[in-house]
Amino acid sequence: MSAAEERPAAPRDWASIAQKVGTPIASVVLAILIGSLIMWISGYDPVAAFAALYQGAFGTPKAFGDTLLKSTPLILAGLGLAYGFRANLFNIGAEGQLFMGGLAAAWLGLMLAGQPWFVSLPLLILAAMLAGAAWAFIPAILKARIGAHEVITTMMFTYIARYLVSWLVVGPLKSPGQIPQTGLLPVESQLPRIQSLFSEATLQAMPFLKLGRAHTGIFVALIAAVIVWLVLKYTTLGYENRAVGYNPFAAETGGISVQWTTVKALCISGALAGLAGAVEVMGVHHRLFDQFSSGFGFTGIAVALLAKNHPIAVVPAALLFGALSAGGGTMQLMADVPQKIILIVQALVIFFVAAEGIITYFIKQRQKEVTSHAG
Amino acid sequence: MLADIITPDLFAAALRMATPLALAAIGGTICERSGVVNIALEGIMLCGAFAGVAVTLATGNPWLGIVAAVLAGVAISAIHAFTSINLRSDQVVSGTAINILALGVTGFLMEIMYGHPGTTDSINTIRSVFRFESNADGGFVSTVWHWINGIFLSHTPIVYMAIIIAFVAQWAMYNTRWGLRLRALGEHPRAVDTVGVSVLKGRWVAVLMSGALAGLAGANLTLEQVGSFTENMTNGRGFIALAANIFGRWTPLGSYSASLLFGFADALQIKLQIFRGQIDIPPQFFLMLPYVLTVVVLAGVVGRSIGPAAVGKPYEKK
Repeated sequence: MSAAEERPAAPRDWASIAQKVGTPIASVVLAILIGSLIMWISGYDPVAAFAALYQGAFGTPKAFGDTLLKSTPLILAGLGLAYGFRANLFNIGAEGQLFMGGLAAAWLGLMLAGQPWFVSLPLLILAAMLAGAAWAFIPAILKARIGAHEVITTMMFTYIARYLVSWLVVGPLKSPGQIPQTGLLPVESQLPRIQSLFSEATLQAMPFLKLGRAHTGIFVALIAAVIVWLVLKYTTLGYENRAVGYNPFAAETGGISVQWTTVKALCISGALAGLAGAVEVMGVHHRLFDQFSSGFGFTGIAVALLAKNHPIAVVPAALLFGALSAGGGTMQLMADVPQKIILIVQALVIFFVAAEGIITYFIKQRQKEVTSHAG
Repeated sequence: MLADIITPDLFAAALRMATPLALAAIGGTICERSGVVNIALEGIMLCGAFAGVAVTLATGNPWLGIVAAVLAGVAISAIHAFTSINLRSDQVVSGTAINILALGVTGFLMEIMYGHPGTTDSINTIRSVFRFESNADGGFVSTVWHWINGIFLSHTPIVYMAIIIAFVAQWAMYNTRWGLRLRALGEHPRAVDTVGVSVLKGRWVAVLMSGALAGLAGANLTLEQVGSFTENMTNGRGFIALAANIFGRWTPLGSYSASLLFGFADALQIKLQIFRGQIDIPPQFFLMLPYVLTVVVLAGVVGRSIGPAAVGKPYEKK
């Protein structure tokens, strides 16, 4: 099996690129417009609300840092979802794998106290990815062997993971004190903040580097995006993944094991979600507690769909949802609009991206008619 | 201890817990039989649960709450019908969007209507239909009566509605023209189209019916069981209902029976939590039980059950 592209390399068709980028952008614009309409009907001022949201997401370097902070796990979860979607697998339970990744990172981080950072950081990341993959493994096997729908099984595993973590942080992993949470990770197991990499003098000279809580996990996420892109585009693993997604029967006939590819795809998807949990624990909270993820695994679905499952496009899509999430608090504070409107906008984006097929369908119908009339 | 666990109210609780699952599962059965996947049951149920409480709080009449819950379920499922039938979107993706939308809309409305997130004020839950006296101190007859009364005659209206709906839907699916067409829609929509019956209309009706049933499931949750609405209170029940539908082999009575199994697991875990002190197992493990059972059931039994052939495939008229 060669890892060649499925289509012969054509000269860059700017119209098709514009269409590919245009429809997601149109979806976002439409979703924000309808969101504004809902705010207006509910008696809020949408302009003030989005101004506050923009301020909270991009207004200051610190605000932009918060956007980066929220985008980091979204990139990773979005990559996981996108990788699964490419094999026609819907890992709706990424949130559960994310929990297990966070759990593995927190547990191992506490175990490795006293180790230097170049030992503990890679080990924590590896452990989180393994934990995420392991949590996806049973749904993967069930899907591959008997066709049990991964939407149901991964969802069930999400609830199981949540209860497991909520038990561990009140039980075996609980730190002394009233609050149900683990102890603080040693500094060597924390992902440092971006601004801590620069000297005070540099920060004075370049204040845009004062990114507040944004941490170096964003680089982990960006590297992961490039790796997933390379894997999908240039490796046999990625080729098989896409082949099974396009047409499992053809893939099977072509000598690809659909079952084995399904297992690998869901586990890799889980590993990426696990990594998302790890960066959240290692970069933001530095400990584990049962509310450490604000639904990043679920928002990752919207990220992947908006990015049309392209690993590089996942980055801007995650930045968008990261900005909505970071600015949502400011919006609620300054314009008094319930933050829940963000969830509504998120759902609308998914609707429009999913219904995008109809637009291209109509365009094709129109073209067909035109050509048949011309002929 | 066993005598304390195995009591009439354990089985009564099983029947109670099974009700929202069963209603949603039968909704899922009807929907999938028509060829449309409905993973939005979770979100639809949540909307029904909220609408039921909101209208009951506003009017003081829980019956209007039930009507509102059903209408809310129909309304939000109409979005799913439009995107997946008319726009031919990916049905699982559309369902996911509905679930997120439901979380957002109920949370948003909650804050603008009641000024705070979390949980609404309580309403008076709907009382049980029958109230017979019984006790287990007497002889054989009075003990039997005590069990029958405890298990079957202690319920609220929607619990009985669910049982009736299960039988009626089962009968209708296999004995009416609607049922025949419904099943054909999911197996071979082209054939239905060929004889002049509208695939779009048939599927629309099925999706709206599933919305009504999932909305009713939500009403049962808030108006009969809990008495208030809490954000995301459905807690995966919509997905368990989907598993019940599969376990029940896409039949209404099968869905109901499978829901009874999950309902029993839920009732048992609640009952066992009372004995937490004696068993010394953390409560979280009990709470996991229904979800673990769902996976086990899907893993063990379902392998050989095959869904409608055309399920999930948008229909394109030629």
